[in-house]
Amino acid sequence: MTEPIKVHRSEDISTHPLNPDVSVIVPITERPEDLVELYQEYSEPLAESGRSFEFVFVAEPWGRRLTEPLLDIAAQGQPIRVFQVGQTMGEAALLRLAAAHCHAPVVVTLPAYRRIQASALGELLRGLHDGVDVVTARRWPRHDAWFNRLQGWVFHGLLGSFTRPRLRDVACGVRAIRRDVLLQLPLYGDFFRFLPLLAAREGYVVSELSVPQHERDTSTRLYGPGVYLRRVIDLLGLFFLLRFTEKPLRFFGLLGSLLATVGGGVLAVLLYQRLHGQGIADRPLLLLGVLFLVLGIQAVALGLVGEIIVHLHASGRRGYRLVHHPTSTGSEPEAQSTAWSQRKAP
Amino acid sequence: MTLGTPHLSVVVPLYNEADNVAPLVDAVTEALTGSTSWELILVDDGSTDQTVATADVIAARDDRVRLIRLARNYGQTTAMQAGFDHARGNVVVSMDGDLQNDPRDIPSLTAKLEEGYDLVAGYRKSRKDKLITRKIPSWIANRLIQRITKVKIRDNGCSLKAYRIELLRSIHIYSDMHRFIPAVAAATAGARIAEVPVRHHARRYGTSKYGLSRILKVLGDLLTIKMIRSFRDRPLAMMAVGSLVAAVFALALGAATIVASVGFVPQKANAVVFPGAAMLWLGLTGYLLMLGLVAEVALWEHRRDGGEQLPLVHEEDA
Repeated sequence: MTEPIKVHRSEDISTHPLNPDVSVIVPITERPEDLVELYQEYSEPLAESGRSFEFVFVAEPWGRRLTEPLLDIAAQGQPIRVFQVGQTMGEAALLRLAAAHCHAPVVVTLPAYRRIQASALGELLRGLHDGVDVVTARRWPRHDAWFNRLQGWVFHGLLGSFTRPRLRDVACGVRAIRRDVLLQLPLYGDFFRFLPLLAAREGYVVSELSVPQHERDTSTRLYGPGVYLRRVIDLLGLFFLLRFTEKPLRFFGLLGSLLATVGGGVLAVLLYQRLHGQGIADRPLLLLGVLFLVLGIQAVALGLVGEIIVHLHASGRRGYRLVHHPTSTGSEPEAQSTAWSQRKAP
Repeated sequence: MTLGTPHLSVVVPLYNEADNVAPLVDAVTEALTGSTSWELILVDDGSTDQTVATADVIAARDDRVRLIRLARNYGQTTAMQAGFDHARGNVVVSMDGDLQNDPRDIPSLTAKLEEGYDLVAGYRKSRKDKLITRKIPSWIANRLIQRITKVKIRDNGCSLKAYRIELLRSIHIYSDMHRFIPAVAAATAGARIAEVPVRHHARRYGTSKYGLSRILKVLGDLLTIKMIRSFRDRPLAMMAVGSLVAAVFALALGAATIVASVGFVPQKANAVVFPGAAMLWLGLTGYLLMLGLVAEVALWEHRRDGGEQLPLVHEEDA
């Protein structure tokens, strides 16, 4: 495959710290606001706190118009880097790309629109000490529309019913995370939303921190039915991935044997009636019984194929992560190399 | 103390066994005094009590004791696999961290292994456990496991086992497979397996991490292993058998459709129910065949990458 990603960099990087303390990643996806203003607002508290930092903006082709002013102020010596991918890749790919290219050991992911007050960034970063690997921001107290809060409450209720730690604002998107942790997480599709949960699954320590909501984060968000459907599918996928990635047959086997038992039971009743002289040719119940039995067999067979795939991969994969420890000789698994290739713009 | 690679590695998964760590290390040290060089690998499976702190102190004091910490609680199987991955000895012994196994049995296990076996399993001669919740389920489970896996092991639940390192390098356990290591070893590596009787003590400290619910899990895992074992070499053939059975049902119902429409008083429902059911079975016929093909593709990719391992062999002396 030829390089799918074009990398445009600001030319003058002489004033940038080579090894900053913090990299702030801004994937430009939906509803971007004025990026220069955004940069100024969020970089101010970082500069005041004395940390060296860089801002890494990643944009899809349609976002070029928005990033051009950033290059202007980067040329004036602001620590800004701008990456432009050649195709629409989705937010997860943008995050992965930015994580692979940023320089600091600590990363803050920031949406391209205002969610939390800029002054809270320092608090998030301070939360990353003491063995904590991921700090995720929760906007609290909320002052946006009651409808936003209601749908958030329902979503997080569902999410909290099967995941730990219990998160109350995965939509916020502002997170402080160690870079090596970010590089090891399987971020793809829509699962970047659940980044803290994926990190917890790998045994990293995750904490949620309440921070004041930005006063401009007030728009009522009513989405189309497709978006809500996708959220439900996300939850279903997450449920399966967290519980059954190592044992698909437990999931499909349970489902399949339930279906097959119902179907078999219906057929047994029909057989009993047939043996007592009652005709079954005109009974739609026969169709239902066969349907359930067939579905049950299909589910089990599918689980079996899943199990084979897991079994084949088990030999090449370590299913656990170690904590680095003075008296242990175990080594951390290598950081996943990212598949992206880069090319500097001429 | 002992430098270089030890001959024997003892692997012990620990989950919230703070009170048991020190007595365990003492017992192992005492049992192995005077024998070949050894190491004890304590695998902490995300304990939330003082297990790590206690083990840490001991590991810092004694070079032969190593502590490996998993990032969270992964379960006993993964903890054992982690211990196996870090074992350096030619012979590996696994045992429970709750002191119900007796390290004094280790020499008899390794002695049996030297006779030319790849795996020696201990079986508990007189179990010190509750009859209803532990012994009877265990007895039923062992019978089932024997019958289904065709591996004659009296006591699959006993963790005290000795393995040749070559065997452990050729098998990988995941999910809840630690109870079936002999079955997995026999099926995928062609291991030679023997049994020796071992002592068993009642639990002194801490609480048991098992419940009655594990019986269902064991049964499910057993079926999984059985299915993988018979399925993984020729999935298409296995699926084709299922497919054929479905096709027979489809044909039978197709025949019933004809009989019903010719012989019976024609009713509207006749024209729907039998052919409908026939078509469902026909659908399953095609579905299973396609799934078998997908499984073949997955296996083909695996084999082409050299993923298939040779069984263990013993070269006979001339």
